Amino acid sequence: MSLANMSFFVNEAGTNMKRSAMMAFITISTIGIALVMMGAFLLATMNLESFLQQLQAEALVTAYLKQGFAITDAKTLSLKLTSLEEIENIEVVTPEQAARELFSSPDDQQLLQIGIDRDSNPLPTTLRIRIKSGNHLEPLLQKLKNEPMIDNISYGEDLFQQFHGMSQLLWLISLIIVIMLGLASLFIVYNTVRLTLFMRREEIVIMKLVGATNWFVRGPFLVEGFIQGLVGSFLAIIVLFSAYRFMLSKLAELIPFFTANIGFEQLFKLSAKLLMMGIVLGISGSLLSLRDISKFSKSSPEGV
Amino acid sequence: MHDCSAQQNKLEPENSTDNMIELQGVTRIFPNGVRALNNINLTINPGDFVFLVGPSGAGKSTFLRMLFREDTPTEGKIFVDGKDITQMPESRVPYLRRNLGIVLQDFQLLKRRTVAENVAFGLRVIGASASDISNRVQEALEQVGLSHKRRMFPTELSGGEQQRVCIARAIVNNPLILITDEPTGNLDPMISQEIMQLFLEINSRGTTIIMATHNHNLVNKLRKRVVALVDGHIIKDEQGGTYAYE
Repeated sequence: MSLANMSFFVNEAGTNMKRSAMMAFITISTIGIALVMMGAFLLATMNLESFLQQLQAEALVTAYLKQGFAITDAKTLSLKLTSLEEIENIEVVTPEQAARELFSSPDDQQLLQIGIDRDSNPLPTTLRIRIKSGNHLEPLLQKLKNEPMIDNISYGEDLFQQFHGMSQLLWLISLIIVIMLGLASLFIVYNTVRLTLFMRREEIVIMKLVGATNWFVRGPFLVEGFIQGLVGSFLAIIVLFSAYRFMLSKLAELIPFFTANIGFEQLFKLSAKLLMMGIVLGISGSLLSLRDISKFSKSSPEGV
Repeated sequence: MHDCSAQQNKLEPENSTDNMIELQGVTRIFPNGVRALNNINLTINPGDFVFLVGPSGAGKSTFLRMLFREDTPTEGKIFVDGKDITQMPESRVPYLRRNLGIVLQDFQLLKRRTVAENVAFGLRVIGASASDISNRVQEALEQVGLSHKRRMFPTELSGGEQQRVCIARAIVNNPLILITDEPTGNLDPMISQEIMQLFLEINSRGTTIIMATHNHNLVNKLRKRVVALVDGHIIKDEQGGTYAYE
């Protein structure tokens, strides 16, 4: 494609968008709204996913041993359990260690006041087990329950399961919504381009009469689709991230321990994805409308 | 006298023939069963000026539309500058049209573009450079006597001027053939004569012209080759002929 052609396409696209500003506005806002919604769902899913990942990384199964076993017994048991496929690593925590950890906390003084001191240590020997992934939790629990040395097991079961299920469901919903929104906006873009195509029918007929190729006729429409997709997605990104920042600050006020888990890199990647989606939507909407351009551009209906 | 620039655009010859246009047994039957053209055989030489006459519905427009591949025959072959355009793939049709100038009855100008922009359209679609476009548009507008109105819009022009803009657009590419359907159909006799004078000038530079018309005064006055079509048949093909076909 020559430079002269490209500048002609860009000029034409600009002129046409000015002339049918309403159509351009409809296309840009359709793409923009669809992308804001898509982006919102993707952001929500990403946040939950990231939260879940944090939770998984922190997932510790703590097994409290019955009283009366020596540390060496605990170490033997730990060695035996290490061979299990579900386990990433095991740490044996002696009662002394547990007490040290406990008293190193800021609540140290309070605990001392209610009568726990360093000489009478009621804490059991514990195994801190880090599992490889969330899927390994259930089978490991079954195995641990069969160990006679283990008295009690604790883990953040309910929360863990809930978040895992929610995350999967949210990904599925996001995917469905993204596809549906994509199709809906593609349909609207297709129809608006189709309308402008009818409005510019005369021009297309003349272009064809003077020897324009089909791709030349399509050129300005494709540039228009590209520009509208670009502008639509750009606006969507601005709206989405402004709303996201606003919501984060509101959430931080409401929930004191809330922290945003999505890093700049991920946000940048999401923006790039939205930008790509916008451009693809704009161009493919135009391409779809223009597929039968050669039939469309006959100078007059068949007749004698 | 032949204008050598008219020959620059010559299509690659496929048949060794000197004819500019050749129709061999061309028949066009529409899906509704109407026979618009019936076994038409005709040759037109380079530089010819041919009037196509006949009553409305005789098949004149269909005939012309076939020449620029807006329509294809049901049977038969059409050669333009030695190339069989009935077998031409759709993707090559734009390149055929770049060698043709087409002027139709309704002026077909873009109302939101200036005179110069309308004429430039034919050059833009083939990717000509800005300076080339500017020079050739100026040249074409001078030929039709409208260079002083290059910045005006079609709606600010008279009918005759609008048709002259169409002619400028058709000749800006130095076409081998000018195909024109009722170019004076909407114009008064005075203006029609001016337009016809323009076509004669273009023809004198070597461009083959084929013109469908109902204007018997002009046909009778100019005494060019006249081909009469009635009910899809050629009933007359006469050098220096008149309009009469009954």
